[in-house]
Amino acid sequence: MTFGKIYEKTRIWILLLIAVILPLTGISNYWLHVLNIGGIFAICTLSLNLLTGCTGLFSVGHIAFYGIGSYTAAVLATRFGVPFLPAVLCGGLLAMVFGVVLGMPALRLKGLYLAISTLAFGEIAYRVFLNWEDVTNGSRGILGIKAPVLNLGFTEINFKTYDTYYYIVLIFLVLMIIFMRNIIYSRTGRALLSIRESEIAAQALGVNTVRYKIIAFAASAFFAGVAGALYAYEVHFISPESFVSTESTTVLAMMVVGGIGSIPGSIAGAFALTMIPELLRSAGDVRLVLYGAAIVVIIIFAPKGLGGAIEWLDNLLMGKHKKKVEED
Amino acid sequence: MALLETKDLGITFDGLVALEGVDFSAEEGKITAVIGPNGAGKTTFFNLVAGFYTPTQGSVSFEGKEITSLKAYQRAEAGIARTFQNINLFKDMSVMDNALVGLHCRSKSNILSAMFRTPGQRKEEKQLREEVMETLEFMGLAEYANEKAGSLSYGMQKNLEIARALALKPKVVLLDEPASGLNTQDLDELSKRILNIRDKGITVVLIEHKMDVVMSISDHIAVLNFGKKIADGTPEEIRSNHEVIEAYLGKEDD
Repeated sequence: MTFGKIYEKTRIWILLLIAVILPLTGISNYWLHVLNIGGIFAICTLSLNLLTGCTGLFSVGHIAFYGIGSYTAAVLATRFGVPFLPAVLCGGLLAMVFGVVLGMPALRLKGLYLAISTLAFGEIAYRVFLNWEDVTNGSRGILGIKAPVLNLGFTEINFKTYDTYYYIVLIFLVLMIIFMRNIIYSRTGRALLSIRESEIAAQALGVNTVRYKIIAFAASAFFAGVAGALYAYEVHFISPESFVSTESTTVLAMMVVGGIGSIPGSIAGAFALTMIPELLRSAGDVRLVLYGAAIVVIIIFAPKGLGGAIEWLDNLLMGKHKKKVEED
Repeated sequence: MALLETKDLGITFDGLVALEGVDFSAEEGKITAVIGPNGAGKTTFFNLVAGFYTPTQGSVSFEGKEITSLKAYQRAEAGIARTFQNINLFKDMSVMDNALVGLHCRSKSNILSAMFRTPGQRKEEKQLREEVMETLEFMGLAEYANEKAGSLSYGMQKNLEIARALALKPKVVLLDEPASGLNTQDLDELSKRILNIRDKGITVVLIEHKMDVVMSISDHIAVLNFGKKIADGTPEEIRSNHEVIEAYLGKEDD
């Protein structure tokens, strides 16, 4: 067996193994928190990619769905004592309802017009978080979101620390990757892709494009809502400032830097853009300038995004580049 | 029996009459050609039949039922498939995935069964892939199954257009200028394939400019000129029809 074959068979497991043992390596709490936020944003970026990368519908207000999921879980947990899993699920479901509500009128719009309407939706969501004091507590935010607890009967596991919550984020991220892959390689996924490629040809082949655009909005909003709910449990305190429209831009940038349509790219993009500002902290005020410059550099040198670079490296390690040369 | 029929079909774009009063019928199991000079309204006619435009007059019926109000995707579900004059493939998808979209109506897995890869979904997916390979083989595309559609040669892209439409297992397939841009050798192959499609029991309606193809394979021909049907008949009848000759060559000066 060649190195390439061994690599091809084991790469996923090696990656997963590294992810699993990472918190055990003595990594600081601060960096664990950064990793958790990166993982949560990776889920959000993947959800955006389902809508934009696969279906070709632009959402510039994606953080609204993330925020709705976050607030739903936070309110359910703090006011009604709803446990972690149902609260996260409800966060996703309510975001999904709004995804469908936004999706229906947005279907009449195309390209830039759709982008503007999602931008407006993001802004409205932020204003509601800020001003609907009875529910969201306004600018004071919601405090005291308790960490999830797993009751095994004989013992209880509390996911209060970053290194334990890390595993919850990891499980959700892995599930998200699996779901995303399964969707793309299915009848539904092909219908979504066909809409991106040519709406007219899709209709000619019997794809109900209206229905599938709504499905794309619903699924994308659901996953973004779940990511938002996970965020609430990571930080234990949420306020409208976490869901301003610049955050939507950040998610959009994560997707573009990662490579539109690429699953590994979305994950790499989310982690890169979460970690770069942290790495640049020592640079002080010029930090954000350097952050912007880093995005520009990545886009110029990797036009297909980090996903394209990962794919290239992946093929190199599997020995597929060599074969191509031989064929030529 | 007429499988596909239009009565008094017409459409006006902002006061411009593109098609007017077209009575047309395609017999089941036959090849019917629609010919006419450039700008005669042939592609407009296809768009009306396939449901991409809503007619401003007249009706379209299929298998004896009126379908004028059905949307394009519903007509595809009913069994009307089409190809596009200017190739309209899903360029960034593989050849196989292009053809698999054609199987959309005849499969039923949804987003949830896909997410969890239920046994039913996996079984369906496997069947779809086997079935679609047959269609690709028929159009000579099997060896390119995993290539991107956009990377195929022009001729192969035209074949994929047809393969994708055939994957629907339609009752009628509307081919919009399948021969344009093909060389002589490819033309012979195309003619054979179209005859094969008919022999499979699929009714063919064909827009074509290449007269040798039209005359050699069509069972029936309808001629459009300036948005109106000017003649209708067997290839022999059309060949000797004065109005048709005039439309193509212009009026003789006495």
